Amino acid sequence: MHMSDALLSPAVGGAFWAVSGGLIAWSIKKSSMDQDGRKTALMGVLGAFVFAAQMINFTIPGTGSSGHLGGGLLLTVLLGPHRAFIALASVLVIQSLFFADGGLLALGCNIFNLAFFPAFVAYPFLYRTIAGNSLTSARLGAASMTAATAGLLMGACFVVLQTTVSGISELPFGTFMLFMLPIHFAIGIVEGLVTWAVVAFVAATDPTLLSMQHESDKKRSLTPAVFILIALVTGGTLAWFASPYPDGLEWSMARTSGQEEIEGRPEPVHGTLSSIQEKIAFLPDYGFRSTGDGPSESTDPASPVNTGTSVSGIAGSLMVLILAGVIGLFTGAGMRKTEKTGE
Amino acid sequence: MSEPKHHANRPEHALPAGDRASLGILAIFIIFVVAVPKNNLPAVIAYGAFTLFVITASRLSLRLIMKRLLVISPFVLFMAAGNLYFDRQPIFDAWNFAVTGGMISAGVIAAKSLVTISALLVYSHSVPFHRFGNALRAFGVPELFATQLQLVYRYSFMLGDEARSLQKARDLRSFGHKGKDIRATAQLIGSLLVRSSLRAEKIYMAMSARGFGNNLALQQKEPFTKRDAITVLLTTWYFLAVRIVFIP
Repeated sequence: MHMSDALLSPAVGGAFWAVSGGLIAWSIKKSSMDQDGRKTALMGVLGAFVFAAQMINFTIPGTGSSGHLGGGLLLTVLLGPHRAFIALASVLVIQSLFFADGGLLALGCNIFNLAFFPAFVAYPFLYRTIAGNSLTSARLGAASMTAATAGLLMGACFVVLQTTVSGISELPFGTFMLFMLPIHFAIGIVEGLVTWAVVAFVAATDPTLLSMQHESDKKRSLTPAVFILIALVTGGTLAWFASPYPDGLEWSMARTSGQEEIEGRPEPVHGTLSSIQEKIAFLPDYGFRSTGDGPSESTDPASPVNTGTSVSGIAGSLMVLILAGVIGLFTGAGMRKTEKTGE
Repeated sequence: MSEPKHHANRPEHALPAGDRASLGILAIFIIFVVAVPKNNLPAVIAYGAFTLFVITASRLSLRLIMKRLLVISPFVLFMAAGNLYFDRQPIFDAWNFAVTGGMISAGVIAAKSLVTISALLVYSHSVPFHRFGNALRAFGVPELFATQLQLVYRYSFMLGDEARSLQKARDLRSFGHKGKDIRATAQLIGSLLVRSSLRAEKIYMAMSARGFGNNLALQQKEPFTKRDAITVLLTTWYFLAVRIVFIP
């Protein structure tokens, strides 16, 4: 599922570099709080363990083919979301730069697709909810299978979204989704089975490895992950049901001038600025850019489901979250500075 | 475990600029290549000339690069095939053969992939990993992340050896596909995991005994010299010139 540079536009690649960079910085801040060098060594060795475990192949039942462990969920179960995110990101950096698996510009997308979803969505919302603090086999099995499958499917959806928004591939959104989701569903089930078996083995032989994480989980805050999930659901699906009628300002203008948007005077500055806006807006009017050969989205006009709206909603939500996070960081830093000088 | 031969025997100063400048040039180059419009094959080929120049200048084996390229990017090839299938609009005829838009855009995807991955491989074969870690530190990457990268890289070869020997032992004892199912393999992976955590404990104790303070940054940061600045400026100018000439 590693994205390549050749399939991405610089805008999409750059945006996900910013998102993943921010998540790494946040995870480092969270992990640095305990200053435990033992955990730093454990993170490094478990990151290396993921590489090594991927060398051990197993037979996939009923297919005759073989597969290997991905390791995203397993690492999160052992290290917790923040440390696992850092470890997975470091594995992906090494895979990209030193084994050419996934591109350099695509690194942000790959970290987001392969590390964010298992660490910050699948583990806290699914695995922990289902497994709780119990180490019984049935609960571990249900938690591992659900979380691994959901994490992989979310990552696969974002691969499709990132590729479609980049506009390099001619594969229609629906066809691409239909191709990616069933394959990743099957891979997710196998990943869940292996994760379950490994966690069950560790629970039976060295349960301290698992209890270390369960203890620290009690203190964790889910606020950022909850906001991200709500933003993705709202932007990605609820935006379909937004009213198609003009907003208050457009309605007022339509009543007074007969047009929803008033045409500006043909001044050169206006012309230049609008042509710049047309060039840089990668989702004009909350949809994909039309190629001029007809409609750019092959959707049923009667259906509320619209890919362009979903992509615009998700992109907009993420941008607002990043902006809010950055403003929050600066405000917090400013307040701490004021407090210090006040002392 | 030892590093692979091509990693262990890397030339120390194969690139014309410092490690930080080289990493910067690599990033700028990839952005320029990726920004080429999806139907402009000549521009990608023109950028490919730079990769070829660096491969020959750093005296890397072209065969080694080609071998690596063959085993990666099946996803890219699938996407290129999608373009071939979905865009069958003929653009021009060449010797009575209709060239379609999909053929050109698929060619661009494959060429971009070839050029960017080759550039990445040149960098990875020219800069030893500890110097890459120092280049990242010089760019302001947090110490915890740089240390994490170096630990993962260092121990992936060691644990890789252990994983291979575990797999070999299992294969010697299994007949056909017996004993290679998920359940049995998960026990191997679990046992590797328990061994890895014990190893982490020993590593931490050894590192603490040598004064480890949560980071591995022992070397001084590499300075960004005037030569580095000139190399970055010249290469960026060259990439910009290619863009102006080949992309109307």
